[in-house]
Amino acid sequence: MVLGAIILGLKYLFTRPYTRLVPEKERPFKTETTRGKHVLYMDKCTGCTMCQRVCPADAIQMVRVEGDWKRNKKKIFPRIDLHRCTFCAMCVEVCPTGALAMTDITGWELTTEDKEKTIYMPYELSEPEPPYRITVSKNEWLPPPPFYSKKKLIEKTSNK
Amino acid sequence: MTNNVLEELKASIPKELVEEIRLSKAKSNIVEIVIKPENLRKIALHLRNLGFNYFIGIETIDWWKKDNTFELIYMFSSIERNGQLVFVRFKIPRDNPVVDSIHDIFPLAYYQEIENYEFFGVVFRNHGGLRKWILEGNWDGPPPLRKDFDSRKWVLEKYYGGKRYERPI
Amino acid sequence: MGLKTVEIFLGPQHPGAPGNVAFKLTLDGERVVDAEVVPGYLHRGFEKLMEYRWWEVNVVMAPRFCVEDPDNFELAYVLAVENLYGIEVPEKAKYVRTIIAEMSRIQSHLFWLLFMGAAVGARYIPSWAMAAREEILKWYDYITGHRIYHHYLVPGGIRWNIPRDFRERTLKVLKFVNKIVDDIKKALYENKIFIARTRGIGILKPQDAIRLSATGPVLRGSGVRYDVRKVDPYEAYDEVEFNIPVGEYGDTYDRCLVRLKEIYESMNIIRQLLDKVEKLIDDKHYRYKIPLVAPPGEGIGRVESARGEYIVHITSTGGQTPYRIRLRTPSMPHLTTVIKHIVKNEEVTIADFPIIVKSLDPCAPDLDR
Ligand code: SF4
Ligand code: SF4
Repeated sequence: MVLGAIILGLKYLFTRPYTRLVPEKERPFKTETTRGKHVLYMDKCTGCTMCQRVCPADAIQMVRVEGDWKRNKKKIFPRIDLHRCTFCAMCVEVCPTGALAMTDITGWELTTEDKEKTIYMPYELSEPEPPYRITVSKNEWLPPPPFYSKKKLIEKTSNK
Repeated sequence: MTNNVLEELKASIPKELVEEIRLSKAKSNIVEIVIKPENLRKIALHLRNLGFNYFIGIETIDWWKKDNTFELIYMFSSIERNGQLVFVRFKIPRDNPVVDSIHDIFPLAYYQEIENYEFFGVVFRNHGGLRKWILEGNWDGPPPLRKDFDSRKWVLEKYYGGKRYERPI
Repeated sequence: MGLKTVEIFLGPQHPGAPGNVAFKLTLDGERVVDAEVVPGYLHRGFEKLMEYRWWEVNVVMAPRFCVEDPDNFELAYVLAVENLYGIEVPEKAKYVRTIIAEMSRIQSHLFWLLFMGAAVGARYIPSWAMAAREEILKWYDYITGHRIYHHYLVPGGIRWNIPRDFRERTLKVLKFVNKIVDDIKKALYENKIFIARTRGIGILKPQDAIRLSATGPVLRGSGVRYDVRKVDPYEAYDEVEFNIPVGEYGDTYDRCLVRLKEIYESMNIIRQLLDKVEKLIDDKHYRYKIPLVAPPGEGIGRVESARGEYIVHITSTGGQTPYRIRLRTPSMPHLTTVIKHIVKNEEVTIADFPIIVKSLDPCAPDLDR
């Protein structure tokens, strides 16, 4: 069967290469749901620090931004260190006002030669460079899913 | 199936070796045997003769605040009994955590015991090879999985100078 | 140990070592007489790290100690938490989770084929297997948003709803993978050189496999018909039909063959489940949100990962975070007791050693954690 293997190998020799030339010829592969860099809607954020508390990688710190913020009396906003971030979207899920969302800016588009540039301040987060698409936002979890069946859960857990 | 095993274990293991044989609170298809630590080897031999010859692992739980003990859980299974799990659990004092080794009955226990030794400081009598294994060469503090060791505080003090992990802007 | 024996250190950067782990080999001429594993190159203390994070956030940690088969590891954690809370997940989530876990098994076996092909010197296999795996990773990217660690299975269901063309996409991927796996079967498994290098070496007898706590394809390669998916069915495995492939002789070739057959079985399972998912495609019930604070108690998750039986045992004292998590990972027996047994009982030369180790498919990160 060695011959068969050689013939098969020859067959693959004439197929199109599977690899792609990124970034010279093509853009990196991404789908409609790829999770990437965050976007922060500063007018929605209330400074509740929930995102900071949930982040498993401790990538979020709250910083003070001067200005006239109607909903944010403490004037604190999340700043995200993408060097630590795992792009898990837990902060998007937990944010009560939907101030955080995720775009499909990812991969080599986020690479930088200066390590300090991986920290994104609130203003930078609020204006990502186009082209981008919002992939994960709070709408993902607005009703109907996820539905809270708290009563059912409490019944069940109390049975245990 | 599980109830049969429960009855069988109750009938075949001598009463004086065990304190309680029950179904697990978490999952009703697991049998738990609560014993005294000094009977561990006898129980392990009994279980092996009864067909529970598939050893899975050892777990240590540190009940530091509660009653200052280590709880050890030995997990056994049986291939011919359709993967029936049996947990053997007992508590040993935290200040003097010594327990008999069963590595000559189940070979994998040799390595599981080393792991529990280096992460919790549980000493296994007649083991003969207790040493640092996974942590060798990169750790020289107290056993790191004990509850009184706060790894977050340690990391902050060692690497971040006592502050939160923030990089300067 | 006479004067003749030499001790050498194999790994962790040696191509023959299975990833981030080293071996201390004792050689007598060409023959390996003892192999002691040297772990610790990837120890990150997951059991401790998970004690500091919330129940739901730990989903981010749970898959991270095995790159090759993340979803089964995530599933075990999720099952343990659900067991602790006492939740049943919606039907749709159950099916989708099973599909995701089976895809992860295929992906892991393809990744293993890459190393196996490289170990026997069949240089064409790695690129084919990688192409097939890449197609699965793209599918994952589309369904879950990430390529490797998906954070998609959460306690209570799945994180977000599946897209409408789930079935077509999945079938397309399966078709592509099936074609390549067929080719690999022809080019590798029927290849004389491969058979000569794997038949009859690294023999593990069934009673030894049980005694040494071997698990997964290694145990089944020795002829023991044991699979957690059958003996303790979780998720939707009791609703699908599948076989458990077993080997005859327990040698290296049998273990390889078991994995190849498992790829076909997994594809078969996915095809059966796709029909069930298709009926529920409009169902909006895919997730329950769990409360932040867990009840005190214990939870057990037990799955058959691509490497074998994997058990998560959670102890909770009723807080926002776990009190203790024990991860009993499947690679430990293979890297310690099994490999020691094989080199002690058989004339293994240094050239065969990487092949035997790779046929056990150990994942060093899950030994270290
Ligand atoms: S982004 Fe959301 S979670 Fe974070 S502080 Fe603002 S409102 Fe709170
Ligand atoms: S995506 Fe995850 S890791 Fe990144 S900032 Fe949000 S919570 Fe933290």
